[in-house]
Amino acid sequence: MPESEHEPRAGGVIANINDPILVTGAAGFIGTRVVGNLIQRGFKNIRCLVRETSNLTRLNEVAGRKTDDVRLHLFKGNLLAKEDCLNMTREVVLIYHLAAGTGTKAFSDAFLNSVVTTRNLLDAALENKSLRRFVNVSSFAVYTNRNKRRARLLDEDSPVEKHPESRAEAYCYGKVKQDELVMKYGRERRFPYVIVRPGSVYGPGKCFVPGRVGIDTFGVFLHMGGSNRIPLTYVDNCAEAIVLAGLTPGVDGEVFNIVDDPQPSSRQFLKLYKKNVRDFKSAYMPHPVSWLFCFLWEKLSAWSRGQVPRAFTRREWSAYWAKTGYANNKLKDRLGWVPRISLHEGLRSFFNACKGK
Amino acid sequence: MLKVGIVGCGKIADSHAWAISMVPGAEIVAACDSEEMMAGQFAERFGIKHRFQNVREMIEEARPDVVHITTPPQSQYETGKSCLEAGCHVFVEKPFTLNYKEASELIGLAESSNLKVTTGTDEQFSHVAIRMRKLIAGGYLGGLPVHMDVYYCYDLGDERYARVFLSNRSHWVWRLPGQLMHNIISHGIAKIAEYLEGDEATVIAHGFTSDFLKKIGEHELIDELRVIIHGANQTTAYFTFSTQMRPPLREFRIFGPKNGLILDQDHHALIKVRGTSYKSYVDKFVPLNTYARQYRKNMTANARLFLKRDFHMKSGLKNLVESFYKSISENSTPPVPYREILLTAKIMDSIFNQVYRR
Repeated sequence: MPESEHEPRAGGVIANINDPILVTGAAGFIGTRVVGNLIQRGFKNIRCLVRETSNLTRLNEVAGRKTDDVRLHLFKGNLLAKEDCLNMTREVVLIYHLAAGTGTKAFSDAFLNSVVTTRNLLDAALENKSLRRFVNVSSFAVYTNRNKRRARLLDEDSPVEKHPESRAEAYCYGKVKQDELVMKYGRERRFPYVIVRPGSVYGPGKCFVPGRVGIDTFGVFLHMGGSNRIPLTYVDNCAEAIVLAGLTPGVDGEVFNIVDDPQPSSRQFLKLYKKNVRDFKSAYMPHPVSWLFCFLWEKLSAWSRGQVPRAFTRREWSAYWAKTGYANNKLKDRLGWVPRISLHEGLRSFFNACKGK
Repeated sequence: MLKVGIVGCGKIADSHAWAISMVPGAEIVAACDSEEMMAGQFAERFGIKHRFQNVREMIEEARPDVVHITTPPQSQYETGKSCLEAGCHVFVEKPFTLNYKEASELIGLAESSNLKVTTGTDEQFSHVAIRMRKLIAGGYLGGLPVHMDVYYCYDLGDERYARVFLSNRSHWVWRLPGQLMHNIISHGIAKIAEYLEGDEATVIAHGFTSDFLKKIGEHELIDELRVIIHGANQTTAYFTFSTQMRPPLREFRIFGPKNGLILDQDHHALIKVRGTSYKSYVDKFVPLNTYARQYRKNMTANARLFLKRDFHMKSGLKNLVESFYKSISENSTPPVPYREILLTAKIMDSIFNQVYRR
């Protein structure tokens, strides 16, 4: 993207180019792109929170492209350590909070690594008194996808899980509680925040078939999505939206869903994946059958008193496999975001990167 | 009704809460964690009325009969001591304490206070382990064990815990005398301690860092361990802990003067190994058929347990908690004899002293 397009304009964004900006989870899949986007926009003082043993290859690549006047501080710390949080947030005006407890099945771990860490960061930012905005990176996983205002359209007003502990997903629990905490700080302490909720983030560096397409738990890939749209967002498009959510004035307290358009159907995605990455056997499970499968699984789990884990429930079905459309109007209207990488281009680079992995 | 308090609201506390919920006549009345939010999330998910940040306050206000300590091992001794001094029975998650000295003091305090303690070596109370114990008690081995062989493996690659641990040097596991091994091997060592006679054992240990860890830049952590243990009588044992061996076995083999037994913890199978052999070529066919029959029987037994809805991943913990509570209500011997807890601690001390050259 041409640098001139992102020259910070006085009054146009809430941070000046020399203001310290903190990115947590900076070495991650999305975090490195957020850092890269900020550098491209001319920001010169970026603090990157990474873990002690984070793989820094991608972040180093980003750092290699920066000019000499850009200061990229690698902060090796832990969000569970309050002193680390105080140090990393000192004089920071903008926080992009991407670090989260992912990949765990334990609810307490998800809570510890998403909620307690966020609380520490929020408290430290409040104590340091320099913050202008906190961008909380959440997820589509928080939505119930039931009882929506507009029958099949999921947007920012769609209901969030009230009882995330009933979902079989620790990540969902952690993210719902994290969002609740950030909103509470916003309400009770007038803490300036924006919440962004990306859909399925894809791109080079993460090779996967989204769970919304199907599951391979039982030895054969069960294609559950069918004609459903998959809320894909290319990692660079997603990073751009996250960065804009931090910079755009007048959006405090808002929630933005991040999803590209057009969105491919599950069937289209699977077909292209098989053609371009690797072929494998899959069996299509029509929606009524997948709903019945989840219903019966739920009953079996209840009958067996939890011997069969609650992995597939009607709540999961609604969240991931019910026919749904995804809106990004708010993102475009309020933040001026447009997906710069087209679906065609994005899928091509994603599939190329996945080949041979 | 037995009133239960839980101190430490991390991952393992979930398993304890589930196990307690399966025991009739027990109720969790309080959750305690130094991090208020962790106590809150735990209490909310398990419908627990009271939450605390301080153990003494919890005991004073909620008055539990039993306290489960599921904190990192560094604080288990002090917390256990406080609970015993306040008159509560104590269930300490494994490893029981950091060392033998602490274990001995805690048990001494329990005995002098007429209270009970136990430790969470739950695999010894899985259905299959209970079956094995009954067979051995019935004399199947034909005398005292001659030799035991324990494999206790841990897959570093798949566990979130391990990734978090490796990436975070401030994690409590790094501060344990035996680091990663300390938090895992007590299950395997406890199995050996159960069948060793006496209170002492000779231990020869060798530990090293796997090439896998070296490749990712980790040179301090010992994740491969081989141990020879010799009990007070002629009984010996080999213990293997590995993060690299595939499959990552959890297996216990015990051989007596007459017969042997193989307990496959992963597949929940118990195989009898006859000490006698058949003549000539018959020995190449009949025993194989016998083994095949035994595996089928194990499968049927597991299916029966499943249909009886008593085949949970953490059934061992449920059985252990139930036995412990029974020992409290009947004032009988706790399920894990104190001799075994102490011998396990002593063997672990010796292993860590040798591999870390203290």
